[in-house]
Parts: sequence; structure tokens; C-alpha cells
Amino acid sequence: MANNNPPRNAKSAAAKPSSNRGAFYGILVAIVVVGIAAILYLKASPPSADSGATAQAAYAALQRDYAKAGPPRPYVMGDSTAPVVIEEFADFECPVCGSYATVTEPDVRRMIIDTHLAYYKYYDFPLPMHHNTQSASNAAACAADQGKFWEMHDQLFSGQDAWGLNPDGATQVTDNPKSVFMGYAKAIGLNTSEFEQCYDSKKEQARVNANAAEGFRRNVNQTPTFFINGKMFAGSIPYDVMKKAVDDAAAAKKSAPAAAPATTPAGTSAVNPAAKPAASK
Amino acid sequence: MRRMIIAALALIGVFVALYLTLYKMGVIGHLACGLGGCERVNTSKWAIFAGAPVAAWGVAFYTATFVVALVGTSPSWIDRREIAYLLAGMSFVGVAFTAWLTYLELFVIEAICKYCVTSAVIVTAIFIVSIADVAMGNRVQPGD
Repeated sequence: MANNNPPRNAKSAAAKPSSNRGAFYGILVAIVVVGIAAILYLKASPPSADSGATAQAAYAALQRDYAKAGPPRPYVMGDSTAPVVIEEFADFECPVCGSYATVTEPDVRRMIIDTHLAYYKYYDFPLPMHHNTQSASNAAACAADQGKFWEMHDQLFSGQDAWGLNPDGATQVTDNPKSVFMGYAKAIGLNTSEFEQCYDSKKEQARVNANAAEGFRRNVNQTPTFFINGKMFAGSIPYDVMKKAVDDAAAAKKSAPAAAPATTPAGTSAVNPAAKPAASK
Repeated sequence: MRRMIIAALALIGVFVALYLTLYKMGVIGHLACGLGGCERVNTSKWAIFAGAPVAAWGVAFYTATFVVALVGTSPSWIDRREIAYLLAGMSFVGVAFTAWLTYLELFVIEAICKYCVTSAVIVTAIFIVSIADVAMGNRVQPGD
């Protein structure tokens, strides 16, 4: 008798691929849904504690309460007895400040500071739209604790691309710049465990705040802003303009030697009393 | 069945690489990275390869793998050996590239990104399954 029946497993064999295929497509759809949901969830998760996302709040609080901040402690360089004092208010994440620090400032150091024409003071003025700038000021202040502010200053400005703003000028390269700063700390020979402890605990936050508060006292509203023997220059200035301003200030002081120094507020220059060219924290 | 597994793994890989790509593009402001150095890795100079973010290359790789594997599951292609060889070749390149990236993480950047580790696991699994696909050929297995 002819067997016209299909093989025993034919039915299940025929049905299985289509049911497997249905399950397969179901799994793919599930992966797409979960994948999109995961990305949206991760995007909405809070930034790490290291993020500068609190910069807005910190700036607003300082702007409101700057009078309560203690005396500023700027970072100084050069001959404290020089006839001219250049004071810079800058933001480590500000691209214009970075351009000044890497292009103009080397000439300023070599031809103005090292030649005893002027004494240099750097004040933090972290702006609220730069979310990593507070962290950078924190890193610089911690480097200053180990006597290497200017080394960290140079690393931060020359390395802005690694931790600062994206080319769009609005977003940050990273929300967790600590690892980059740790690399700088190692590169400039800091004790990295001490540095990390200082950085994590924000030990020098009061110093950063006090420097910024000094900017508010003097109506600084952009970075960089310079004061050359008290005369304000808002925005970056080329070397020639700065040199002329220094020469003019020195000449004015020479012609009126009895006049009191126009600039330094109390407590700003206690760090480097040495009367010779020297970089100090 | 093996190509279905490869397609599913590749699709997961697409989303892992897409997340990192969106970060590199600035669409996502920060990486959720409880442990490790995701941002240190992804902001290093090694995160760019041939002018494009490594993560974007990952999206392209996983998408291509997904498409090839998906085509390979269709009835008209399921018996084609070329698909098996192509998947094995592609995933070998993926594994080799991932091995180089893992070396950079461990010994050059000295930071580990958990999303990169996830991707490395996925591409390795794809490679193993694709080798099985080549080795086992048309042997019927449940679900094929």
C-alpha cells in the first residue's frame, strides 16, 4: 500500500522555521526597543559628581554674595617689586583665554615678566557656561598647593581640546575631566595621590571663589580681562598693546613716584615676596 | 539559527556603538560610566580612526554584519556558503581591530571603557558563531 502520508516530522519541520522566524523578528524588534530606551535612559542619567554642571549655580551664588568671599589669593609670577602689576582674570575653559595663554603669554613672560618690567597675577574667573572650568580651576589650585600652578596653567590651556569645549562652542568634550587632569598632574611631576585628594575634596574651592569674587568687585564681566596698574583692558590684547600699556604705566609711575600703587588689593600678593623673577603658586 | 544569533548580536552592537557615537557627536553630554574611564578612552586621540570616531566605525561594522547575517537567514540565502565566509571574514577583522583597541586601553591609555568591553564581547561572540557557521556548513540544526 502506497504511503501517501507525509513524513512523520514533516509538519513540524515545515512549521518550525516560520515560527522560529517569527520569534527571531520579535527578538530583533525587542532589541531595537530596548536599545533606544537604554540610550534615552543613559542620556538622561545625571552627570558624574565631577561634572561642572553646577557651574551656573556656583557663579550665581558668587555674583550674589561676592562681598562675603575672603580676600583673593591670585597666582603670581615675577618680581614683586616691579613697577607695574599685570592682573589677569581668566577662565581655563575660555578659548580666547587659551589663545592668549598659548600665543601671547609666552612673549609676555619672556619680555615683560622675566625682564622685571612687571609682576603678574592670575585670578580665576570661571564663567557659568563652561561646565568644566570650575574643575579646571580646582585642578590648578591643587597644583598650586604643590608649587606648580603655572605648569598646570600651561597644561590646562594648551590641552583645552582634551577637556574643554567642543568645536561647536556649546558642548563639552567630556563631563568628567578628572582623568585628563590626573594625566597633567603626572606629566608635571605632582604627587598624584595628594593632588587627587585635594581635587576630590575641592580643598581649594574657597581660593577659587575668592579670586572670582575679586573679579565681581572690579566689575569683570568677560574673560580674559586685564588690569595694568589698575587700568582695565577687557578682552584679549595682543602683545604690542600690553607692552605699550606696561611702558605707559611704568612711565606714569616714574613721573609720580610718590603716588600710591594703584592696584593691588590687600592680601593679593602674599605668595611670592621674592624680589627677583620667579614663578610661584 | 547561527546567523540569527549573529544578527541579534550585531544589532545589540549597533546600539552600543551608537551610544558612544552620539557622545562623540555631542548629542549626549556625558557617558554613564560608573566604573572605568569611558570618557578618558573616548576623548583620547585613539578614539579617532581614519578621520572618523572609532565608535562610528563600530556602528558601520555592526550594521553591515547585521545586514549580511539577516540576508543570510532568508530562505534563498540560507544555504549559501558565501555568507558564512563573509561573516567569518568580517568578524575576524572586527576581532583584530578590537584586540588592538583593547591593547591601547590597557597599556597606552590605561583606562577601560565598559562599553568598549561590551563591544569586544559581542564581536568575539559573533566571530565564534560565524566560525561555527563555516565549520558546520549546511548541517541541519534545530531551527535552521
